[in-house]
Amino acid sequence: MAPADFSPIYLVDGATGSAVAAELRQEIGAAQLTDWVTKWQPAVHEIMRELIAKGVPQDRWPQSSHWRWDQKVARVSGLLAHKGFSVTATGVCQGLMQVKLTQSARLPEQHGKPLVYVEYLETAPWNRSDCVPVRRFKGVGTALLTAAVALSEQETFKGRIGLHSLPQADEFYQDLGMCDLGPDPHYPNQLRYFEFTAEQAAAFLV
Amino acid sequence: MKLERSKEWWIARAAREGNHVVLAGGPVADEERESPAELRSGNLERASLSVAASDAHIAFGRFVNLMRRSRGMGIEAFAEEANLDPGEVLAIEDDVHFIPEPRTVYCLALAFKLPQERLMQLSGLSKARDVGLRAQAVRFAASADPVRELTNEEETALETFVMILSKGNHSAG
Repeated sequence: MAPADFSPIYLVDGATGSAVAAELRQEIGAAQLTDWVTKWQPAVHEIMRELIAKGVPQDRWPQSSHWRWDQKVARVSGLLAHKGFSVTATGVCQGLMQVKLTQSARLPEQHGKPLVYVEYLETAPWNRSDCVPVRRFKGVGTALLTAAVALSEQETFKGRIGLHSLPQADEFYQDLGMCDLGPDPHYPNQLRYFEFTAEQAAAFLV
Repeated sequence: MKLERSKEWWIARAAREGNHVVLAGGPVADEERESPAELRSGNLERASLSVAASDAHIAFGRFVNLMRRSRGMGIEAFAEEANLDPGEVLAIEDDVHFIPEPRTVYCLALAFKLPQERLMQLSGLSKARDVGLRAQAVRFAASADPVRELTNEEETALETFVMILSKGNHSAG
């Protein structure tokens, strides 16, 4: 099997502000899933225990705490229309993303045109401001989103991407300038749907 | 795919991320609705039933896809015949997380001349009490590839599955 594609990238240490070398890989493999089981999950459990002990209401718990990446990956194994990405730093998986290539745009100006749909994107619990007071690394989510836009360009989709945001992340996509198509009535909890146009994607990559 | 950006570019991007949470994803599949703690508590039977229910849901999309193609119909033509919105048919076939409206399943049952209750179970709208149906749906989903032309094997798998759906409760495992 050919080695997975990877690109050298940089993250920022949340405590010191210094640059940290990292890798963006077009792969979610055994190493990444092992980190998810042995490192992410215990960290999530610890955070959940603390939240429950403090009586924090459920709507403020990490909204992806129930996700199971092993099952997400297994469900699309061998399907060419799905691709996985991961970010690794200090030898540990820091973020995961799964995308799909068969969906089309919803914005009127690009309706029906193909795009890269970000099915799932999550960063490690220690990199999330809703989980820890000081994030270990900043830039993991942005790096994964950059990969989605770059893949869209590679697939000749001109950088168009679409995604459903979880409420805790709505502000990020709004600040990024993505088009906010509002709550999607077809999904439980009416998650907001966002899209990048080709022009917005080009500006994002500059 | 290679991304070539300078160190400064990545650092600037990380800084722009600020303190935001970066998270995206539609609804999770049925089995993921179990919390990790529940899954680790040893309740494997419940977890495996949940996985099977999700597989049945995947089978629903493939079933609709193959039934439509076996009639030689495009999405729009089929949607018109079944009195459905083309976007909804596309979502059923293409999005394993999409839960159709009860009316949609009713229209599909009419179009396919199949019992509504069985399709409701397959679509995830009602709980499948029939373990045999779930097992058959998993086998069907595994045998059907919605990307390729309908092969003889798929035709056979589809016909067999239609027979199973047409019957009452089926106990085969």
